[in-house]
Amino acid sequence: MTLADIDLADPDRFLAGVPHDAFRLLRAEAPVFWHPETRGAGFWVISRYEDVVAVSKDPATFSSARGGTNVFELSDEELAVVRTMMVNMDPPRHTKYRRLVNQGFTPRMVARLEPHVRDVCRRIVDAVAAKGACDFVVEVAAELPLQVIVELLGVPLTDRHKVFDWSNRLIGFDDPEFQTSMEDGKVAASELWAYANQLALERRQHPREDLVSLLMQAEVDGERLTEMEFDSFFLLLSVAGNETTRNLMAGGMLALIEHPAERTRLLTDPSLLPRAVEEMLRWVSPVIHFRRTATRDTELQGQTIRAGQKVVLFYPSANRDETVFSDPERFDVGRTPNEHLAFGIGEHFCLGASLARLEIRIMFEELLGRLPDMELAGPARRLRSNFINGIKHMPVRFTPERRANGAPVTG
Amino acid sequence: MRVVVNYDLCEGNSMCTQVCPEVFEVRDDDRAHLLVERPGEELRAKVETAVRRCPRQALVLVED
Repeated sequence: MTLADIDLADPDRFLAGVPHDAFRLLRAEAPVFWHPETRGAGFWVISRYEDVVAVSKDPATFSSARGGTNVFELSDEELAVVRTMMVNMDPPRHTKYRRLVNQGFTPRMVARLEPHVRDVCRRIVDAVAAKGACDFVVEVAAELPLQVIVELLGVPLTDRHKVFDWSNRLIGFDDPEFQTSMEDGKVAASELWAYANQLALERRQHPREDLVSLLMQAEVDGERLTEMEFDSFFLLLSVAGNETTRNLMAGGMLALIEHPAERTRLLTDPSLLPRAVEEMLRWVSPVIHFRRTATRDTELQGQTIRAGQKVVLFYPSANRDETVFSDPERFDVGRTPNEHLAFGIGEHFCLGASLARLEIRIMFEELLGRLPDMELAGPARRLRSNFINGIKHMPVRFTPERRANGAPVTG
Repeated sequence: MRVVVNYDLCEGNSMCTQVCPEVFEVRDDDRAHLLVERPGEELRAKVETAVRRCPRQALVLVED
């Protein structure tokens, strides 16, 4: 492979997984690489750990608001809409909006959710344990984050599959299974917003202890949130709390299945689980990239980046940087230190990081304890996307769980 | 050497308390608090690691 073969704009190149060979070459030969685009002006590919950190820490030079955080170009009208989402804001505005919700996601607050998360995990595993086989993504990995985030938001549990569908269509615009074009993504967004507004109306009159009620009371600079701002919060929290954790769990399970010695090590010493969770984060890196836009001419690794140019941070590449991680191509459930960037760093460090860690740890405690011999029953089907490192379906089989009296467990 | 916490950014991720419990403590307000404002040179390596590893980059080391 040479630099001329690299095409990170083509989602087909991600169908077999993140193209780590391309990133290895980029880190070695062209850490700040100009990538042409057929539909767009081109973008800079940032592949090394230290540069992803440097760009993330300098929002004044590398803006999330100026052009949004996706690689594709948006019209001024579309930009105005996406800029109402925190992920597409810069400080000081970002700081104000994040403060509205961050109290609900601190490690201390998240720790209080542990009994609830464990309860949800048990019920999910109960539902598949006796069957001996399931689609791990749809029946296990998707269910946990979905049930947890709808609970936090205040969406009735019975409506969770609506959120699942909207979220898939918003993220899966490059994948034919979710049959979504950019247009269908917009339809999904408007359906989700109509639903959110109905819920908001209800909670304004009858507040509860959920995020929708909290956002109804919230003020920025003495002003209540506009409908658009509220809708954006709702969309961001329901998608971000959903797709990423699902794909981390599926990718983490796949990594354990593909590295049986590492799974045995974890089964023998369950105290390794917190480290294994961090290694799954590094290994999977569920978010493949976010974009920044240069606000002024600047220089990185000797390359001149011009004001207005797109700068794209590739997290899976940073997480296999040979100068930071020893033996980075090895999946090591006991890896330490492990300062991966799967959650990003700086202003936009994942708001849900503590929640995701909790969900993954507890789900794997349940899975490893109850279904320790899970294996693939067919190929994992990956999401066609260069944005989310996702798995759509993963058929697995395992020894069915039996109760102590020998009777199969029923859901 | 003086440590400053940017309270616009700190969200109580407690990375600093894990790396350097001699200097940092996260309290019930979900914020990092300094147990020592001017840590001695013997703690420099640990404080620098805490500053580097803070997920929100909320810690600043000021030389004076």
